[in-house]
Amino acid sequence: MDAGRVETRDGAAPLTRMGIAVLSLAGLFIAAYLLLHRLGIVGTLQCGADGGCSVVQSSRWAVFLGIPVPAWGVGGYGLLLGTALAGVQPGLAGDRRIAALLFALSAFAFTFSLYLTALEAFVIHAWCRWCLASAGIATAIFLLSLPEIRRLRRG
Amino acid sequence: MGRRNKPGASKRGGLRQFYLVLALVAVVGIAALGYAVARGGGGAVLEPIAVEGLDDARTLVAKAEGMALGDPSAPAKLLIFNDFQCPACAAFAAQITPFLKAELVDAGKLQIVYHDFPLVNVHPHAFIAARAARCAGEQGKYWEYYSMLFGQQGRWSTRPRAPLGDFEGYAAEVGLDRDAFGACLRSDRYADVVTANMQLGQQLGVDGTPTLILNGRRIRDWRSFADLKRLIEGEAGN
Repeated sequence: MDAGRVETRDGAAPLTRMGIAVLSLAGLFIAAYLLLHRLGIVGTLQCGADGGCSVVQSSRWAVFLGIPVPAWGVGGYGLLLGTALAGVQPGLAGDRRIAALLFALSAFAFTFSLYLTALEAFVIHAWCRWCLASAGIATAIFLLSLPEIRRLRRG
Repeated sequence: MGRRNKPGASKRGGLRQFYLVLALVAVVGIAALGYAVARGGGGAVLEPIAVEGLDDARTLVAKAEGMALGDPSAPAKLLIFNDFQCPACAAFAAQITPFLKAELVDAGKLQIVYHDFPLVNVHPHAFIAARAARCAGEQGKYWEYYSMLFGQQGRWSTRPRAPLGDFEGYAAEVGLDRDAFGACLRSDRYADVVTANMQLGQQLGVDGTPTLILNGRRIRDWRSFADLKRLIEGEAGN
């Protein structure tokens, strides 16, 4: 099967992967910003006057399995970006492994974001705008990854 | 029309546009991160500074302002030289200070004056912590922030870099105006006062924390709150 034919038949998939790549890059920068703040390299987060970001970032929920949550974000968005970039290459557009990996990563990112947002709402009682922006991006990436299921079924 | 009929060219064009958008996002992101990193701590002074005039005893005492708790006319006055990153000071704050306040300060028998004595050689965040507490004091919440710093000591003291973000989080938690606090923290404000406090401690022979000086006399022979209370009440004439 020639890669060009796959793209023509399923043209929407590479477009959604392009979207995932762009959104992942944006998410990567947000996570990197929060991580730099966590490491003390960036002083004050630009986050509005209520200080929600600082409250969330200094809470005990800002670490997951011993690793700061922003570091998970950098890793996760980095993997998503790399996978999506691979997925837009003509030779790999029909690769089922990429479709599976892209869907699995985006589903994990979405679920993790839901968990973090629930913590902000019900446990920490503070809102971090950058975290919400990241959660929005993770949701959009998840929606864009849904066509990967169709691709997996076809394969 | 001819161009549109060439899928290969269209595909290449689409990818080119995609990479262009990606590059644009990358440039904006890198520029924003670079700006944030360049701002860094935003000028937060993290270490003692040179302060003129501290060789003069009067100037030193005037500049080395302590944070007082209790009636200034109380018969006993206890100076406590304190380091926010020192575990023994955290234990003192949790296990002794509340009883001192409840049983002696509130009864008018004792005034406590806290002086900063950050052991900067071993506690890299102690100086900025002292400044942070002073910044909180500017908004009338020194003691709330004092409790917060000691309560969270295990978290912020292990940070590899100055924990400005943690301190701002605590400021928000104790109800401070975060912007005003952040502006104070990311400046050199109170660096002179904390430096003068350190110099005062050195002049008085302070070599560790917490160091207690009761009515001008350094006290070492105490092991519990009961010991301390007995000594203080002795000074207060009870």
